[in-house]
Amino acid sequence: MLGLAIAAAPQAASVLAAEILAEPPSDLIVTVYRAPYRNGGSIDLDDLQGFALISETRTVHLPAGRSRLRFEGVADGIEPASAIVTGFPGGVIEKNRDARLLSPAALVASTLGKPVELLRTIRKTGKTERLTGTLLSDAEGGVVFKSAQGIEALRCSGLPETFSFEPVSGLSARPTLSVEVRSPGAQTRQVTLSYLSRGFDWAADYSATLSDDGKSVDLGAWVTLANSNGVGFPSAHTQVVAGTVNRESGEEEVEPIDIGGPILAQCWPRGSTSDVPMMIMANGGRSRDEFRANAPAPMAMHAASLQEVVVTGAKKVQQEQLGDLKLYRVPERTTLASRQSKQVRLMDRSRIPVYTVYGAEVDVDEDDADSVPAHRLLRTKNTAANHLGLALPSGSVAVFGLGGGQRLLEHESGLRDIAVDEDVEINMGESPDVQVTAKKEKVSIDPAHADTLPLVPGVSLRSVKIGAAHRVAISNARPTDVQFELRLQLEAGARVVRADHALGAKNGRPIFRLKVPANNTVTIRYQVAHTGDRILRTP
Amino acid sequence: MRLPLIFMACSAWLSATSAWAADRSLSVTIYADDLALVQDRRDIEVKEGRQRIEFTEVSGQIRPETVSLAAADISIIEQNFDFDLLTPAKLMEKAVGQEITIVRVNPATGAETREQAQVLATNGGVVLKIGQRIEVLRDDGLPVRVIFSKVPDNLRARPTLSVSIIGARAGTRRATLSYLTPGLGWKADYVALYNESDAKIDVQGWVTLTNSSGTTYDNAQTLLVAGSPSLADGAANNYRPPARRSTLQVPGTESGNRERLGDYYLYPLAERTTIANLQTKQVSFLDVHGVPAEHGYEFRNRWLGTAEMPVSAKSIYSFSTSAHAGLGDQLPAGILRFYMRDKRGDPQFIGESRIDHTPMGSTLSLTTGDAFDVKVHAVVEKRTRIATFDWQTDMRYELTNALPRSVVVKLRQEGLWGDSSIKTESQKSTRPSAEVAEWAVTVPANGKTTLTASFETRY
Repeated sequence: MLGLAIAAAPQAASVLAAEILAEPPSDLIVTVYRAPYRNGGSIDLDDLQGFALISETRTVHLPAGRSRLRFEGVADGIEPASAIVTGFPGGVIEKNRDARLLSPAALVASTLGKPVELLRTIRKTGKTERLTGTLLSDAEGGVVFKSAQGIEALRCSGLPETFSFEPVSGLSARPTLSVEVRSPGAQTRQVTLSYLSRGFDWAADYSATLSDDGKSVDLGAWVTLANSNGVGFPSAHTQVVAGTVNRESGEEEVEPIDIGGPILAQCWPRGSTSDVPMMIMANGGRSRDEFRANAPAPMAMHAASLQEVVVTGAKKVQQEQLGDLKLYRVPERTTLASRQSKQVRLMDRSRIPVYTVYGAEVDVDEDDADSVPAHRLLRTKNTAANHLGLALPSGSVAVFGLGGGQRLLEHESGLRDIAVDEDVEINMGESPDVQVTAKKEKVSIDPAHADTLPLVPGVSLRSVKIGAAHRVAISNARPTDVQFELRLQLEAGARVVRADHALGAKNGRPIFRLKVPANNTVTIRYQVAHTGDRILRTP
Repeated sequence: MRLPLIFMACSAWLSATSAWAADRSLSVTIYADDLALVQDRRDIEVKEGRQRIEFTEVSGQIRPETVSLAAADISIIEQNFDFDLLTPAKLMEKAVGQEITIVRVNPATGAETREQAQVLATNGGVVLKIGQRIEVLRDDGLPVRVIFSKVPDNLRARPTLSVSIIGARAGTRRATLSYLTPGLGWKADYVALYNESDAKIDVQGWVTLTNSSGTTYDNAQTLLVAGSPSLADGAANNYRPPARRSTLQVPGTESGNRERLGDYYLYPLAERTTIANLQTKQVSFLDVHGVPAEHGYEFRNRWLGTAEMPVSAKSIYSFSTSAHAGLGDQLPAGILRFYMRDKRGDPQFIGESRIDHTPMGSTLSLTTGDAFDVKVHAVVEKRTRIATFDWQTDMRYELTNALPRSVVVKLRQEGLWGDSSIKTESQKSTRPSAEVAEWAVTVPANGKTTLTASFETRY
């Protein structure tokens, strides 16, 4: 009787579509894309921010007329809006992704208002009592049940209690994509399902070994790709794509999914007289907002911990051009298992000439600062003459050097996407042996009292209005000479007019390139003029 | 020991008629902005006089203030939307002061003893009065079943809409319940396959419907409206996302033959469909083959500034939505995903771009991502002050191309505010607006082009 109030919906009577299950994939293509906004660095196995395009070829046996074809075992990170199904002559009527998964909580929810059997066992006798009734509520996890005996709550009595459900439809074990198709007659066809899926990522991991003299490196790289989905891809054509592709679907675009949960048999307050009183919780009515907030959360992909690391052999990936992107094809079919990271060889090049540069940046307008260590860079150019001349996808680079007769890690840093013929710069960290001390030496308002350093070529005496003299000392505690680059940061319109070292320019900014001898200190002095006239004004 | 109270309670419950869902006809109109209008026609059994009618299977996120019920010969007294949910704790809380039945189960023998008890309090634990004694429920941990005789009227398993009406005459009649609800939305998703050899695209359009309203809409007649009516109540949204690159190059002026509602386009689904809770559903609405598309590169320098590193140019695809040599349809807002075949012939994803509602006859220009091989390095060579409010900026742009074919990059220098003019330049520019200078720079295969320009800015 009470069941009337929670009226059952009529079973979908109209659509008499036959339910067909597609066969498991006979062929798989997996293309992994990087996290769109990572510009260099390795992947984070705990939170794979990239994605993949997955194409599955499956065989289907269609009856004549309208049928609902189910594709089970698609990746859990599927973006259903991106799904494409091809191979149907009569076309696709509609595509559906059902996100209600079979779980204890979903069973209770779908049995709400319908008959269900309560099983209650007496521990002592082992006798099971079967009680037929109706579920009145599963709200907030508390299950209320009505039988001829009255209204009771599940698992509040202290007796072993459980439900025995009648079969339900429409709940599947895994996210399932289904399409409704119409077929002129019974037929067997090969269809292709492609979709984008989250929970993948890849990066290039370079390792560079510096030669004894530090003048060349051997560079090798792995493609490291990973899958944090609960679904594996056996014997798949696998490739990775380098370059930044535009992604528009943000987090808020994630389609809702109910990953299910246990039956939470929450009871009334169960405090006893022996409990220490804690805090009285005001238990007001739950607002509608809270009800809304209880909407299922998007599936947490990052929760998946990756279990397996597979390193495959010496066959290298093959690169091809894909529009404005670079595609790297794994030469053989490979299995990308669930929660697995895999490495495939990207490249191996040896004796790439490099040169080491130390450098520092000085903000001219900044007050006196403590000495700072210079940073160290390895430079080369991505050309065939340098034994390179190939697209270098972004990733991380670990530089090894020889120390104490052993190959030891010197530094690790990120690398951006580098096209052919571009300059390559590998950051080697800071060098405490090369210190840079910048000081404002003297401020002179009157040009008559200003120091007279040599004029920078191209500067005429008349245009010079001198502000201050600056001094930068570069000390080198290394037993070898170092090549050094000092870049200056100037306010707009200002320029260096006098200097005791040759002045160059890089990216429109002044730079001193010089050699600092072994165990020695070099001092650079320069003066800056501003094109404005305020420098000469009396303060 | 059965209580007469049970029957009393049940009859009280039954005084509310449930709107029976058997002969039901649903129509759902879904707007683009997470809003839907549900029109629910069902037969209701009305008695003469005052009564309450409950509507189950309504959206769990129904906006109750928008509910309207229309049926012959009834007048509505009030509408209630009950969202106090039935849980064991609420059941016990509402039973304070009332009688319940407790069944003690002897753990040794399994024998049951029934007693009547009055609930005194539920603060932290349940305190009962049994006869003249006071007990705490299950204080000793032994099994005790609690049997309630009734469910309080306004506790529901799901939020429920109830309407109190006065029936002028008894009998079954057709009622139309209509309401607005969030939780239902749709957008368009497009699949574009670009063919590099003949520079043409095939485009398929799908409407993607999502339902997170908590309810399944069975066998509903579904209409999609490409437009977002603004919500009057508090939903006024003053937030404007940062300006993005405009995808609509030329707004179209052609009219299609799609049905309209005011200035919105309507997309009715051809067949009735069931929109299940937590379902994503896609239905095709566009399938065009062999539309000419143009592939190019674009680089935008946001202000007269220096980049420390070369920056990739954007890869751009543009095409028309015109009936002539175009898609021949207006496009509802959504995401367009580009694919291209690799050397094996498999389609690969090359990027996606969002489009707004686009009239027919427009020219769209969409970014798919960064070009790996085409980069631009913008550098301020020199910045000189000519007068107090007059600056000269010498810019140098180095364009590199590692592709084996020559490319044309549309180089845009933006942020030319104030009275900006170009004094000298190595190639003639155009000025699409006062703030932008634009050059079409050809970069040879595996080569490099340097463009210089000197800007004078007065303000």
